[in-house]
Amino acid sequence: MTLSRRNVLKIGGAAAALPLLGQKAFSQTEPLKVGFIYIGTINDNGWNYAHNQGRLYMEQELGDAVESVFVENVAEGPDCERVMRELVQAGCKLIFATSFGYGDYVIKIAQQFPDVKFEHATGYQRSENVATYNARFYEGRAVCGTLAGHLSKTGKAGYIGSFPIPEVVMGVNAFVLAARKVNPDFTITPVYISTWNDPAREADAARAMIDQGIDVIAQHTDGPAALQVAEERGIVGGFGQGADMSAFAPKAQLTSIIDNWGPHYAATAKAVIDGTWESKDSWPGLKEGEVVIGDYNESIPDDVVAAAEAVKNGQIDGSMHIFTGPINDHTGAEKVAAGVTLTDADLLSMDWYVEGVIPPA
Amino acid sequence: MTIGLLIAVTMTLIVASTPILIAALGELVVERAGVLNLGVEGMMLIGAVTGFITMFTTGNPWLAVLVAAIAGLLSSLIFGFLTLSLSANQTATGLALTIFGTGFSALAGQSYSAMPVSLFRSVFPAELTTHPYLRVLFGYSPLVYFSLIMVVVVWWFLKRTRGGLILRAVGENDLSAHSIGYPVRAIRYGAIAFGGAMAGIAGACFPLLLTPQWAEGMTAGRGWIAVALVVFASWRPFRLLAGAYLFGLVMTMELYAKAGGGPLTAIPSELWAAMPYLATIAVLVLISIRRDASTNAPACLGKPFLPSN
Amino acid sequence: MPFRLEKRPAPSRLMLYATPFGALALTMIAGALVFSLIGYDGLAAVQQIFITPLTSTFRWQDLAVKASPLIIIGVGLAVAYRANVWNIGAEGQYIVGGLTGTWVALATHGMTGIWILPAMVLAGMAGGMAYAAIPAFFKTRFNVNEILTSLMLTYASVQLVYYVVRGPWKDPMGMGFPQTRVFSEAARLPNMIPGTIVHWGVPVALLVALVVWFVMSRSVFGYRIKVVGAAPKAARYAGFSTNATIWLALLVSGGLAGLAGVLEVAGPFQRMVPGFPTNYGFTAIIVAFLARLHPIGVIFAAIVLAVTFVGGDLAQTTTGLPSAASGIFQAMLLFFLLAGDILVRYRVRRVSSQPAAGVRAAAEAQP
Repeated sequence: MTLSRRNVLKIGGAAAALPLLGQKAFSQTEPLKVGFIYIGTINDNGWNYAHNQGRLYMEQELGDAVESVFVENVAEGPDCERVMRELVQAGCKLIFATSFGYGDYVIKIAQQFPDVKFEHATGYQRSENVATYNARFYEGRAVCGTLAGHLSKTGKAGYIGSFPIPEVVMGVNAFVLAARKVNPDFTITPVYISTWNDPAREADAARAMIDQGIDVIAQHTDGPAALQVAEERGIVGGFGQGADMSAFAPKAQLTSIIDNWGPHYAATAKAVIDGTWESKDSWPGLKEGEVVIGDYNESIPDDVVAAAEAVKNGQIDGSMHIFTGPINDHTGAEKVAAGVTLTDADLLSMDWYVEGVIPPA
Repeated sequence: MTIGLLIAVTMTLIVASTPILIAALGELVVERAGVLNLGVEGMMLIGAVTGFITMFTTGNPWLAVLVAAIAGLLSSLIFGFLTLSLSANQTATGLALTIFGTGFSALAGQSYSAMPVSLFRSVFPAELTTHPYLRVLFGYSPLVYFSLIMVVVVWWFLKRTRGGLILRAVGENDLSAHSIGYPVRAIRYGAIAFGGAMAGIAGACFPLLLTPQWAEGMTAGRGWIAVALVVFASWRPFRLLAGAYLFGLVMTMELYAKAGGGPLTAIPSELWAAMPYLATIAVLVLISIRRDASTNAPACLGKPFLPSN
Repeated sequence: MPFRLEKRPAPSRLMLYATPFGALALTMIAGALVFSLIGYDGLAAVQQIFITPLTSTFRWQDLAVKASPLIIIGVGLAVAYRANVWNIGAEGQYIVGGLTGTWVALATHGMTGIWILPAMVLAGMAGGMAYAAIPAFFKTRFNVNEILTSLMLTYASVQLVYYVVRGPWKDPMGMGFPQTRVFSEAARLPNMIPGTIVHWGVPVALLVALVVWFVMSRSVFGYRIKVVGAAPKAARYAGFSTNATIWLALLVSGGLAGLAGVLEVAGPFQRMVPGFPTNYGFTAIIVAFLARLHPIGVIFAAIVLAVTFVGGDLAQTTTGLPSAASGIFQAMLLFFLLAGDILVRYRVRRVSSQPAAGVRAAAEAQP
């Protein structure tokens, strides 16, 4: 298929949790059946596509020990409850629910089937047999912001989001904090388009930004639409979201943030098989290889790549956290004191913008 | 606002309006013939996926537009056969066509999601397309000029030709037209086929003009905006052109306001999104209050043609 | 041409009720063929989509919960369509009904009392009615096409949901996600059968269908609706006001759609979310047609549609059919059904050299 698909697998393979290697022979009993439910289709070039890649990685990694099924286009509502019950009836002992809106129903269905393990992506409600997981995408945003700070000529970036949920706000903030470490006058304008999947509207949002002097675009919606506009207009660039999108924008994609769910899926399935699974919140990032920075564009000067790599490695070895103070909010008032780092709870409920964000009304 | 920004906004809104304009022109002819086809969204998706696949395999945008037109036309014939030959209810058939088009396009496009194509670009020389001012005239894809030409063609056909007169007569009073000896069904078949071809081309605008990729459901409800637009324009081609650009302005102004800041950002985006529909209702009511015969809906709109022989 | 269509002197009752079954059978056959041709296990797909949800008893609860809003909305639409009033904005009325019900639930949040649910139900019905009153007003006052207004209003209502859950009604404890808070216990529709997901909306749906069937077949109201729809001129002679019938048809269909909306939000959802609009209002149009606009038929038609939804998800896990397939099956079903309509009014005859006399006269008698 395309480069992007292979890249995900390749990088997934490289970043794979090493202890898993060579353990394909542990299946003496029947395979663990794992179910996945997706909010959209696996062909969305984005969120659901990445989760499905993770599922395939898990199958490849654990071989005969697992067997998996998925249901796509499952609405957030009573339908997902039914689908999860169907998956349980079909023999699934581990179910990954990969959208926030499934949360209420995961908790409900988990009570009815205490011997089945549930994993809810991006959620915060847990119980005995419900764990939550997410990825620290903001770490990747900090790397992108560093590139933007160095490369942008106008010092203005745009950020296309769907809704101002904490996940998105966190991404905007991380991006501009990193960019301002390079260029203290850097600003970012978030534009919310109230939909996750309307590529034509994403493209128009990108055009509106570029026409008003923005020369770097980040997006939090699925698909390559904004990146393609960046390519067409020849601006400094943008970033692949969820997967490598260089096939769509070979010049404009500066790098990409790759959602690499595979290792988490493989490790979780293995824990269930081994009986070591427990309900917890896992929020891995660059260090664990769940968030991966893709290839840098060849046009980027070496010193800029080095600066981005430094931010990446700093977050991997823990020497740097992008949300360490001093941080001012968008009005300029100090929000986080010097040396203090925001806690995960602060991040997960983030509803304020840092300095440099031009806040939407 | 600088001249440069004004030109940029104009160009974005014209491009964004083009698929809506093309689909609505087709639907306008269909409705003038007395038929309401609510399958526009479905036919557009069929056009989008077939146009994309053709573009991806051949790299020829002209061929992609042609294939999308044929695919849209063929899908509209399902509607034509059911509603004209079998006198089925138009509303239900149109909805079924939209459901079908959504499913068909998703199935047909399954293995094309991660594939890029290139846009259908302007055919003018680069000096014109990149000129800071002249690009507002020359910087568009042929699809944009096609939509403008079709406005004139549809207007001319309806207003100035015998065929247009007959088509309107069929839409106003199918039974009288039938009794005079006009082939009501054949004329409506023609109108529906034209509407289907135009919806197909409108769909092809998504991968060829707006965002060069295939994504499921990528028309995202614009087929319904096209249906609204026909009513908003009170079934007249030049009002349709003005209405399409007005809708396009509403859709793009929001994004420009948000990206650039300013007082307009205070309007909730949901209100922006609802505006075309609310404006259409307002126009519907206004033209009905005025009772201006020339702006009223075709009298037979949506009703089955049931001649007694 | 070896065959020709001849108009029947009167619509065939046999065909009226036989064609839906024929359409269903044809859909299964054609579906199996088409999906086999494009490389899926077509037979297994048809079995998963149409048969399996019916044959395993534990899936009946899913069917009941999925079918009940379709029944409630479909019954209302059947009444409206009988009157020749083309309300296709039931989705919007369903949404507004859900919103007004939500408003009551949020306003009474934290309170207890047996009156809360009935108040929500009344608010939901009132909301649906009010939203349907807009096309009714424009239709009766200015003769504005109700198909167009009700459709436009549906799209506006979807935006209204997005606005309230993102803005004024956002859950203060919801981590910024666009949704309202979970309703208090008193504002939730209780389960009817413990251990299942069957809520009180299910018997309400059956009751609505029975009551409307009774009213339509036994009362002056029902007679009037049918006369106005079938023969508007005769209705005027009989002194039935067309405008009053339009109002009635829209208020009944809108009120029932609103009822479905509030039951859905109080039952399975228990809070308002952006995903609340799930096209029940549009699917119910298919249901009403499949049921031949008969309230009891609506029950069965809604179950058929519910089966295709439940089965569609099932087929994804078992035969790897993409989710798009269930849409294609539904569209085929509707196409075949609408095509079958012709057999109700016409019969297929082998053409003899002599045209049958009297057919024309009989045909003219029938509008």
